Amino acid sequence: MPLAALILKNLWSKKARSIGIAFAISVAVMTVVTLTVVSSGLEASAAAVLTLGHADFTVAQNGVSEVLYSSLDENQLRDVQSTPGVKSAVGVLLETQRINADNPLFIEIGIAPDELSQFGVTVVAGRPYQETAIHEMMLGWRAAQDFGLHVGDRFDANGTWNTVVGIYSTGISYGDLGGMFPLTAIQTYNRVPGSVTLIFVNVLPGASVTKVEKAITSAHPEMTTIQTATQFGRADRNLVFLQAAATGSTILAILIGAVIVGNTMLLSLFERTREFGLLRAIGWTRSRVVSLVVGEGVVLAVVGAIAGVALSFAATAALESLPQLRGVLHANYTNQAFWRGLYTGLGMAVIGALYPALRAANLTPLKALSRE
Amino acid sequence: MSESVAGTVPAIEVRGLEKTYDDGLIRALDGVDLTVAAREFAAITGHSGCGKSTLLHLIAALDTPTDGSISVNGHDVVHLHHASRFRREEVGLVFQLHNLLPRLSVRENVEIAMSGSRRPHRQRAPYAGELLADVGLGGLSDRLPTQLSGGERQRVAIARALANDPPVLLADEPTGSLDSASVDVVLALFRRLRQERETTIVLVTHDEAVASAADRIVHMVDGRVISGDGAEAGGGELRPTT
Repeated sequence: MPLAALILKNLWSKKARSIGIAFAISVAVMTVVTLTVVSSGLEASAAAVLTLGHADFTVAQNGVSEVLYSSLDENQLRDVQSTPGVKSAVGVLLETQRINADNPLFIEIGIAPDELSQFGVTVVAGRPYQETAIHEMMLGWRAAQDFGLHVGDRFDANGTWNTVVGIYSTGISYGDLGGMFPLTAIQTYNRVPGSVTLIFVNVLPGASVTKVEKAITSAHPEMTTIQTATQFGRADRNLVFLQAAATGSTILAILIGAVIVGNTMLLSLFERTREFGLLRAIGWTRSRVVSLVVGEGVVLAVVGAIAGVALSFAATAALESLPQLRGVLHANYTNQAFWRGLYTGLGMAVIGALYPALRAANLTPLKALSRE
Repeated sequence: MSESVAGTVPAIEVRGLEKTYDDGLIRALDGVDLTVAAREFAAITGHSGCGKSTLLHLIAALDTPTDGSISVNGHDVVHLHHASRFRREEVGLVFQLHNLLPRLSVRENVEIAMSGSRRPHRQRAPYAGELLADVGLGGLSDRLPTQLSGGERQRVAIARALANDPPVLLADEPTGSLDSASVDVVLALFRRLRQERETTIVLVTHDEAVASAADRIVHMVDGRVISGDGAEAGGGELRPTT
């Protein structure tokens, strides 16, 4: 009979044990996949900020714990604007505000009205706000739809009532779920006069984006530039920590799981000592015995990984529905999450099965056969 | 009692074999010489602890001797590079306990011994069926070992030992746990295998009645062969192991 058939038969004959090991693997895989999709979701949400301004790159304060804590002043903004090769540099102040349970992180974008077009904003209804009108605002069309608000309606933000004078579209769903305010108004509300969070930079045609970035960071070490989501950690240490936590959890899950799997398989080895002795006595090679034991582990790993991914869907849905996390947590199912789930399961099973497999392969046939 | 030696070419040749344990304190074999001719059915008998099973295990490459040489069909068993291959292809082993895997069917228990053999996968199940038919269990292929009698299980173990058509069958007390009717069936099977398949058989037993079924009886006492060492069967130089 083929080795694969024997592996399946062995596992099937010990259903309770097989299910137990597969379940242990699935729990570890669920934890790893859930952490990965959640951190990936947070990364995607955070990185969505970068796409707001349709810019070639974004400038932020270097080394802040969270990108929204980045703070750049008007002088720095002017320096960036005057850097050779820069076509436009739009300073934007970003804040978040809890509106209700469904909108715990409503994004408020403070931007001067004369820079709206450079920022890629199209006013689809009403008009832009006035630069000095501190109680005027525009709502993104998605936000307006969600709140059921129209031009002329009032919107409570920053503890004051603002009149919705326009509805805008950025072409980016993240931006269209927020609201825009005069820059000076947001700076006043937040008591950060002259400050912006990020600077969205577009370079002149023919200019090298990389060279312009280097010119800015060389002149201003306190600033960092971000082009892609993967560079986001430069301006958001929390995200880096989260990713590190996900990686650390994966390693821990593999190690703890490997101990559990190894322990269970070792018990199984003791029960099957005579069997392995017989197999060696009738001519099975050591490598074939190793293949049998590790093969059993791999099958359990694959089953556990599939079950773990299914469980992670349920776990993530449960987390997203928690009142404290609704609207904050967005799962982002990427290929990476599934691969991580699979190699967590395989890592656990292979590492866990290897020692019992080597023990089984190195049993002396006679001693093994005489074991009661 | 015994017929004449079946062939003159030695299938098994043991010279000066010694096996000690505990740094020489226990001497299980003490200079054993034994020759078994091809197609011969030899029984090694003696009291418990005389070293007969140890001798069989050494011939089967399940253990290594302290000194001496063993040749099985020209293979230098003491210096094997691939003991697993030797046990798979050159010898078939039958133990006192059948050692069948309870979760596998009777046919699968035979098939499992073909794992790693040169026989193509698709031919293995049919051949296992043939072997089972050969040992009189053709209709029981799909049963589990637990559904068989002790004698039937031992016959499955014999079929398993024949799975790779080994020229030598080594049986260690194969009738030790069988009732007398089953003993007769198993011994008749050994005789038939020797006749029809031309298999060389070495059977270890403490039971003189069982031993009498063989062509020749080798008596052992205290780790030595005292009679029936088969020197008349001829000897030969050891061929290098392949």
